[in-house]
Amino acid sequence: MRDTSSETAGLARNIQLPELICQFSQKGVDSLHVDVEGLQPMATKSKYQNRIELMQGTLDMLILKTLQWGEQHGYGISQSIRASSCEVLQVETGSLYPALHRLERQGWVTSEWKQSESNQRAKFYKITKLGKEQLASDYERWGKMVATIEGIMTAKRGDA
Amino acid sequence: MSIFRFFHRKKELKEEIESHLKMATADRVARGESPYDARRAAVREFGNVPLVADVTRERWGWLRLERLTQDVQFAARQLRRTPVFTITVLLTLALGIGANAAIFTLVNSVLLKDLPVADPKMLVHVGNDGQDCCVGTVNPRDNGNYSNFPTETYEQLKKNVPEFEELAAMQAGFTYRPVIARRDGVQTAARSVMGEFVSGNYFRTFGLQPSAGRLLMDADDVKGAAPAAVMSYATWQHDFAGDPSIIGGTFWVNTKPVTVVGVAPRGFYGDRMTNTPPDFYLPIETLPSLENVPYVDDPSMVWLYIIGRVKPGVAMGPLQEKVNAVLRQSFSTQKIFSTEDGKKQLLRVHATLTPGGAGIETLQENYGAHLRLLMWISGLVLLIACANIANLLLVRGMGRRTEMSLRSALGAMRSRIVRQLLTESVLLAGVGGLLGLAVAYAGTRMLLLLAFPGDQNVPIHAAPSLEVIGFAFALSMVTGILFGVAPAWISAQAKPADALRTGARTTASGTSMLQRTLVILQAALSLVLLVGAGLFSQSLNKLQSSDLKLDSRNRYIVHINPQAAGYSQTKLEALYRTMEDRFHALPGVVKVGIANYTPMEDNNWSNGIGVQGHPEIHGSASFIKANADYLESVGTKIVMGRGIDVRDTSTAPAVTVVNQTFVKHFFNGENPIGRRIGSPNSAGDFEIVGVVEDTTYTDVRWKDHSMFFVPIMQRYASDKTPIEEDMSLYAGAIVIETERPMNDMEKLAQTTLASINPNLTVVKFQTFDEQIADRFTEERMIARLTMLFGALALLLATIGLYGVTAYSVEQRTPEIGIRMALGAERTGVVGMVMRGALIQTSLGLALGIPVAVLCVRYVKSLLYEITSADARVMMGAIITLAVAACIAGIIPARRAASIDPARALRAD
Repeated sequence: MRDTSSETAGLARNIQLPELICQFSQKGVDSLHVDVEGLQPMATKSKYQNRIELMQGTLDMLILKTLQWGEQHGYGISQSIRASSCEVLQVETGSLYPALHRLERQGWVTSEWKQSESNQRAKFYKITKLGKEQLASDYERWGKMVATIEGIMTAKRGDA
Repeated sequence: MSIFRFFHRKKELKEEIESHLKMATADRVARGESPYDARRAAVREFGNVPLVADVTRERWGWLRLERLTQDVQFAARQLRRTPVFTITVLLTLALGIGANAAIFTLVNSVLLKDLPVADPKMLVHVGNDGQDCCVGTVNPRDNGNYSNFPTETYEQLKKNVPEFEELAAMQAGFTYRPVIARRDGVQTAARSVMGEFVSGNYFRTFGLQPSAGRLLMDADDVKGAAPAAVMSYATWQHDFAGDPSIIGGTFWVNTKPVTVVGVAPRGFYGDRMTNTPPDFYLPIETLPSLENVPYVDDPSMVWLYIIGRVKPGVAMGPLQEKVNAVLRQSFSTQKIFSTEDGKKQLLRVHATLTPGGAGIETLQENYGAHLRLLMWISGLVLLIACANIANLLLVRGMGRRTEMSLRSALGAMRSRIVRQLLTESVLLAGVGGLLGLAVAYAGTRMLLLLAFPGDQNVPIHAAPSLEVIGFAFALSMVTGILFGVAPAWISAQAKPADALRTGARTTASGTSMLQRTLVILQAALSLVLLVGAGLFSQSLNKLQSSDLKLDSRNRYIVHINPQAAGYSQTKLEALYRTMEDRFHALPGVVKVGIANYTPMEDNNWSNGIGVQGHPEIHGSASFIKANADYLESVGTKIVMGRGIDVRDTSTAPAVTVVNQTFVKHFFNGENPIGRRIGSPNSAGDFEIVGVVEDTTYTDVRWKDHSMFFVPIMQRYASDKTPIEEDMSLYAGAIVIETERPMNDMEKLAQTTLASINPNLTVVKFQTFDEQIADRFTEERMIARLTMLFGALALLLATIGLYGVTAYSVEQRTPEIGIRMALGAERTGVVGMVMRGALIQTSLGLALGIPVAVLCVRYVKSLLYEITSADARVMMGAIITLAVAACIAGIIPARRAASIDPARALRAD
């Protein structure tokens, strides 16, 4: 368990990530920075060409999904999302922590201070029953939306 | 979430972020980075740590509070950085608000407060004149208005006006008639205390519950009932430490045993506001036996006030008519109303129903005009204070334009800046308001001391009520917000770049029109107040320096009450002889005067006068009963004939001495010696044997006061009533004249009287000078307060003028530097600055003088023999203001003159 030579691998093992087949290579696609709050100042903004602003619910969904595999601390969640997206999605801390605290306030997650695998005291978040229900409904909505948007994007002229 | 939980979570969040950074760093180190680089990279990757923490905390909904705390802390820091400004504003606010709150506390508790009784709105006072007092006969009156009634009329009103749920009666002049009380079985001296005789339903009418024992009932107020009394709560607590054995215990009231059946509720001070509230409440029917007075059962004697509780839904109009009808019916049985003329007079007889919630409003009537004047004055002072604060805040706001520009250039949000400036002025206003309350508390105490010197039992409390606290805070907040917003808004509007650029040289005059107007207004208002202060001091001076035609040197007045000590009229001659002998036996005593009342005390006894052989002459004169030494003991000089002497005993021929006004009024100034006067029905009762000077009795304002003096044991020859009913035989005071000042006279008087009879207590002891000074208490209070407020106004206006001038000098420093570099003389610079200050003052004077002249009209009635602001008062006020303006101007002017041109030009 103390194998820290590869954090991604370590994390993957730790939180039992499902097998992922990365469809795009790391070199081919720039990482996308997930920023819900729009906190980064102008100066830094220009550095990230590929900043995407997800809807709030989407980040919540990603966090809840990550926590479904087991309790995790903030840093772990961001690393996990990054790994499971094949290094594409990078959740900004300025969005992650507000989201976590919001989820906790809504009762979708609970938190507890514990020792991490690297013997560091950290605050671990755990999905609740309510959170699981929320995740299911979020995912369903997400599916519908993707399908709808996909439909618009792939529609051919004259079809209508 | 509690505030503690909030701070705990704040700390926890910090830890959470720190653990994130540690893990990220550890991962990087594991990948081979150096610990230093790893940490830096982790922090960089994390982003703006405090910002992330802020946004996260925002999720808890507590950020507003946090920002507010920050703003308040920042504001406090800013205020500490400019102590002169802060202290000036705080002092101004504290004094302005404090003065107002003090006056308002007094007005609130004297003029606006109801009695502490159940449902005061339903109480109706039958009558409207608290000056219609004490004991008198039912004579026809020109205006037909009565507020004081006979017992029989009260009984008839109670029986025939069922609209009153309860109708209570109370002794009109109890404050003039103290009783002597001693607790049974306890070795204490008898003391003179206040006893008020009231009807049996008195407490029920007010809807009160006893704090111990029971209250008076109807059964207590019948002839032959066992004498009962209710003690006031204050007396029970202060004099008897709340001793429960008081209830049911016996007191010797005027030497007769009375059972204390209970204690009145806490806070109840009787039916009227007075500095001597009742210690005992006694039933009306016990008055004849306790005080040996004949008027209780006499339908021709008025002595009762009446307050009733009306039934719900009773209309005042018809009730008024009904009361008047019963009143006329009751008076019609009197001989004086049954003559042809009397029947006409009877038609005018009425009582005016007024709201009775505040009880009998004698004090309110006495102090009302002065309190309202004080309210106006303190209002003006507040206006000046507000103008000052406005000015100071404006100046500060303008002066900080550069700072604000810099802050908004550095990215501060406009709304945040405005909020911060507002926080600052609200903080100032809040602290100022708090200080103001402290000043108000001290101020009210001072006012009470000035208004009622030496009285502990005044039912007015210095502690500001909730209304007053609310009033003070609302006032300070409005001032703070109003004058904090303007500069905040102006600052926020400034474009950062512009403001930063124009910090350079300009010849702009610096002060705005608004500021100058405020200063001019302040000067005008303070002139008005200074003139007012001058007028009231002048009035007091005139009052105090008026010739009272008496001699108060080494004179002591000992008030006594032989009636309450149990003396019947037949024993009085011997008593007075004993008193004369015992006091004369004291070494140093020159004269021992005995009289029913003395010069310059709040008392008067008027009788109708008839002149023998001249039935056409009508009028009345004040009646003094006196012994042989009396006239000399008070320093009244004899101008003709003789005074009263030892020969004038009860059996000697009845004589009288009259004053000069009496001669002028009744004898057209002719020699009255040997002429006879008496009552209108029997004009020959007394032979005039002497004429004396017009010594002032009762009040300096009572001009043309006819008086006649009769030997104390002599009676109207035509008076056929038994001697036991003649109240005029009772002396009220001993006047002792000594060779030299005697500090132990009070003690001597006590022991001398006690040696005659232990029940002969000293009701009141004062030097003659103290008694005279007491009559000017109210005038002195007004003069001192107008002086105080005038000084306050002057101080505030001076600060205002100084602030504006100093600010303008500061703003013009570069300009003045250039002028001086180009050769302007220092004196020229001083002149220039002073001119500005003096022009504003002159404009203020030009505005203030006519206003002051106009205002004199409204206070004329409160002044003594002053009808307009004379040149002395006017010049005094103008010079005072001018000197203050010069001081306010010279300080900044000298600073302007000391500007070093080179440095001024180099600045900015």
